Amino acid sequence: MDVSQYLEIFLDETREHLQNLNTQILELEADPEGEDTIKEIFRAAHSLKGMAGTMGYKRMQNLTHDMENVFTEVRNGNIKVRPDMIDVLFKCLDALEEYTDNIQTTADEGTNDNEALIKQLNNILDEKGGTAPKAAVVPEVKKAAVPEEGNRWDAIVLDDSQINVIKEAQHMGKKVYGLNVTIQESCILKAARAFLVFKAVEERGEIIVSDPSAQDVEDEKFDREFTLIILSDVDINEIIRAAESVSEIEKAEGGLIDLGKNKHYKAGNDTVPAEIPATSEPEQKETVPVAAAEPAVKPAAQAAPVKADNKKQTSGKPVVNRTVRVDIEKLDSLMNLVSELIIAKNSLVSASSQEQVGAHNSFDEQIEYLESVTTNLHESVMKVRMVPIESVVNKFPRMIRDLSKKLDKKMELYMTGEDTELDRTVVDEIGDPLMHLLRNSADHGLESAEVRAERGKPAVGSIFLDAYQEGNNVVIEVRDDGNGIDVEAVKNKAIDRGAITPEQAANMTDKEVIGLLFLPSFSTAKQVTDVSGRGVGLDVVKSKIESLSGEVEVKSTLGEGSTWIIRLPLTLAIVQALMVVVGNEKYAIPLGMIQTLEDIPPTDVKLVQNKEVINLRGTVIPLIYLNEVLDVESKKAEDESLIVVIVKKGDQLAGLVIDELIGQQEIVIKSLGKYIKQCKFISGATILGDGEIALILDANALI
Amino acid sequence: MDLSLLNVNQAISSEESKRAVETIQFIVIRLGDEQYGIDIRHIDNIVRMQHITRVPKMPIYLKGVINLRGEVIPVISMRLKMGLAEDEFTKNTRIIVVKLEQEGNVGFLVDEVKEVVTLAVNDIEKINYNANEEMVSLINAVGKHNEELISLVDLNAISLEGN
Repeated sequence: MDVSQYLEIFLDETREHLQNLNTQILELEADPEGEDTIKEIFRAAHSLKGMAGTMGYKRMQNLTHDMENVFTEVRNGNIKVRPDMIDVLFKCLDALEEYTDNIQTTADEGTNDNEALIKQLNNILDEKGGTAPKAAVVPEVKKAAVPEEGNRWDAIVLDDSQINVIKEAQHMGKKVYGLNVTIQESCILKAARAFLVFKAVEERGEIIVSDPSAQDVEDEKFDREFTLIILSDVDINEIIRAAESVSEIEKAEGGLIDLGKNKHYKAGNDTVPAEIPATSEPEQKETVPVAAAEPAVKPAAQAAPVKADNKKQTSGKPVVNRTVRVDIEKLDSLMNLVSELIIAKNSLVSASSQEQVGAHNSFDEQIEYLESVTTNLHESVMKVRMVPIESVVNKFPRMIRDLSKKLDKKMELYMTGEDTELDRTVVDEIGDPLMHLLRNSADHGLESAEVRAERGKPAVGSIFLDAYQEGNNVVIEVRDDGNGIDVEAVKNKAIDRGAITPEQAANMTDKEVIGLLFLPSFSTAKQVTDVSGRGVGLDVVKSKIESLSGEVEVKSTLGEGSTWIIRLPLTLAIVQALMVVVGNEKYAIPLGMIQTLEDIPPTDVKLVQNKEVINLRGTVIPLIYLNEVLDVESKKAEDESLIVVIVKKGDQLAGLVIDELIGQQEIVIKSLGKYIKQCKFISGATILGDGEIALILDANALI
Repeated sequence: MDLSLLNVNQAISSEESKRAVETIQFIVIRLGDEQYGIDIRHIDNIVRMQHITRVPKMPIYLKGVINLRGEVIPVISMRLKMGLAEDEFTKNTRIIVVKLEQEGNVGFLVDEVKEVVTLAVNDIEKINYNANEEMVSLINAVGKHNEELISLVDLNAISLEGN
C-alpha cells in the first residue's frame, strides 16, 4: 500500500488546520481565557499530529505532539496563556508550514528537527511544575481471545492452496493466527491505517490471507474491520500490541487458527497435517495446480508486493496537482445543464430531419433553447472555477500581528468581503501583491506612535482590506489611516534617482507623481527595513496585477491616509468583446478597454506634433490607424468618415481607427500557442461561430 | 492475501528477440518537384487546406493560425521555409499537424501528401554538412526507397528556428 496517494488530501488538510490554528491562536491572544478557542486549537493540533503520524512524517509529528501537550495543559487550566507562549506557538506554526512546504515539493519533511522550539515548548510545560503527560499511552495489552465459534477469521473463505499453506505451516511448527482489526469510526484515512497495521504485522510474521483482499483494503473497499491470517513465530499478544499501537485502531483481537472450526472448510478435505509430508512437494503440486511456487516460499513472496509498494513512497516523487474543492451543488447543476444540452442537440437533429412546413419555426426555437443552455453552462463552469479569496487573505491578520511587533507600531487589520469569489488562477496570484500592499501600509503608511499622537489620531493604526464585486470585476482595496503619500518626497526621490528632471517634476500632476512609485527600483522609505523598502514591491505588484488583466489605482491624501485599489476581472477565460473589421480581417477588442465608439468626419482630424489627433468633447486623443499597425489594406475611401474606437489605458486615451463594426460578442480566449512569438499587441485568439479564427487585440500594448 | 497472485512471479523465460533491423515509417510529401519525408511518429493529424487567419508582424513563412477542432494552431509554409516559391493552393494541398516537443502542435503546409514508406535504419544516411543554403539545415538525412531518394526533414531544426 502506498500512502503517497493521500498526499494531496494530507497537504490540503494540513494547510487548513494550520490556517485554523493561526486564526485561533490570534483569537487566543486577544482573549486568553476563551475556552472554545482553546478546545478548537487542541482539536486542530491533535488532528495535525495524527495525520503527520499516519503519513510517517516523524518530525512533524513530534513537534505537533509537544504543541498538543502545551494545549492540553492550557485546556486543563494548568498553564495560563502568556504573550511569550503565543510567540513560541506562532514559531511552531511557521516550522510546521516549512515542513508542509517541504513535503509538497519533495514528499519529504526535511531534516530540521526544530529542537530549539521543542525545548521552548517543554520549558513552558516545565514551568507549571509537573512533567508533561505522555499523550501516547502504551495501549493496554489485551488478552488473546480464546478462539471460539464466531471468530471472524473462522468465517473466511479459504481456497485449497491457502488451506495447504496453513496446514503446512502448522505441521512445521509455525503458529497460524487469526487477527481481526477494527478501525475507529471517525478515522478518515482508513486505508492508510490499515496499511500501517499490515506493515506492523509483517514485521512480526507473514500475512497469508487478508479478508477483504489487500487490494480492496488499499482501495478502502472495506467497512471498519478487516481480518488477517498470519504465520508467525512470535506470540499473538505481541502482534495484537503492534496492531493496536497504530493510531485510530479501535481494537485488535487474535487467536490461533483451528482449521476444523473454519465454517467454509470442507470436512472431506480434512486431511490431517501428518498426511502431507513436508518433503512431498510434487504431490502437492498435483493437488494444488494453481499455486506455481513452492508453498514454503509463498509467505515471503506474498509479502513482496506490499514491500515494493512501500518503497515507491520514498522514491517516487509525487506530483501534487492544484485542485479546486467543488461544492457538489455546483457539479449537480453542471450535470443538469449537460443533459439539457444533449436534449437540445437531439431536438435539433429531429427538427432538421423534419422538412415540413413549420419546421423552420421549431428550428429557431431549438436554437434559442440551445443558446440559453450554453449560457447557463458557461456560468456554471465559471462558478466551479471560482473560489473565495478567503484562502489568501486569512493569513494576513497573523502577518499584521507579526509586523506590529517587528515595527513596534500598534495596528489593527479590518477585513471585509473575504467570501468574494474569484477565478482560482487569479486567487493563487493575488496573495503576493496584496501582501506587498499591506506591508507597505504598515511600514510606510502608518506613522510612528509619536507622530500619530501629535496629529490627534488614535494610537492604534488601522489597515482595511475590503473586497467586493463590481460588475464583471472584483475590487480589492487596501486602505490605511496613515500618512498618505508625500508627493514632494516622491518627486525629490525621483529627481535624485534621475528618473525625472526638476523641470519635469514641476509640471507633473500629483497623479503622475504617484505613478512614479510603480517604477522598478523606487522606494521612498527613508531607511531600508526588512519589512519593505528594498525597492522591489510596487512595480512587482503592478506587473503582477496587469498580468492578470487587472489594474492598480492609488488615492491618497497627505496626512490622512492612502487607498490602493486593485481591479481584477472575474475570469480570464471568457470576455465580452467588440468585433471589428480591419481590411478584410476580423479582430476582437475586449470591451473592458473600450470607452466609447465615435464617428469622426475626416475634416475633424488635426495634426499635432506631426501626429493625427481628434478633439473629442474637449479632449485631445491621438489616432492609431489599425490597418497600418496590422499591415492590411484599408477598404475605406479617403473621404469617408472614420469609425474610431476610443480605448483607455489608465488615464490615457487613444482612438483606434477601424473599417467596420460587427458588434458585441462573448469570446473564449485561446492562446496562440508557444510557437508564435507573442506579438505584443495580440493577446490571443478566439474561434468564431463559423469556425474561423479572430485575433484579440490588446489595446494596452497599442497605446 | 490471495495466493494466486504468485502466478505473477512466474518468470518470463525468454526475452522476445528483437527484430534484426529497426525500421522507421515516413510520410512522403511533395513540395514542387521534390519529395520529403517526415517521421510518422511526430505527426498528429493531416487536414485539408482551410482558411488561415493571418497573424500580423510574423515572419513570412508563418502563414497564420487555423482552428483544428477548437485548438488554435500556427501554420508554417514548408515551401517558404525551404526557400521555394510561394504556395499555390490546389485540391491536393494539405496541412500536416506535427506535435513538437517544446512548442506543441504546429501545422505545415505541403503541396501534396503522397504515401507512407517504411525505411530500414541502414537505408537512412545522415547528412552532417551544413552548407550555406537555409534548406539544408532542415534536412538532416536522406533515405533510399526503391532507388529513389527522399530528403528527411528535421522537425526539431524547424521548431528551434521558430524561436
